[in-house]
Amino acid sequence: MAWTTPIAVEIN
Amino acid sequence: MTATANTACIPVLPRGVRLHHDRVRKVEVLLGPERTLMLDGIGHAILSELDGRRSMATISGDLAARFGAPVDQVSRDVETFLTDLADKRLVDMIDG
Repeated sequence: MAWTTPIAVEIN
Repeated sequence: MTATANTACIPVLPRGVRLHHDRVRKVEVLLGPERTLMLDGIGHAILSELDGRRSMATISGDLAARFGAPVDQVSRDVETFLTDLADKRLVDMIDG
């Protein structure tokens, strides 16, 4: 896996 | 004691916040009080490194080595990511 901008998406 | 985020700080998941594999959605999630965040692979990799002992700078260096990515890019991404989660009270920053 290559480094990419990390993502955290809130599940409502 | 919670501190203002800088690279010498030691990030840690606070009590009541944990990583979890959601088998239904087949994704890694961060579970907090009354909120759930869906993580991509890099987000999960960062949060998996929080052991309460290593500073943000050390974690960034380790991740840069593991992914073969430039340290300054990884450091910037890690700091932004963890600071955002700290603002949501899903990560605590302890003075290093």
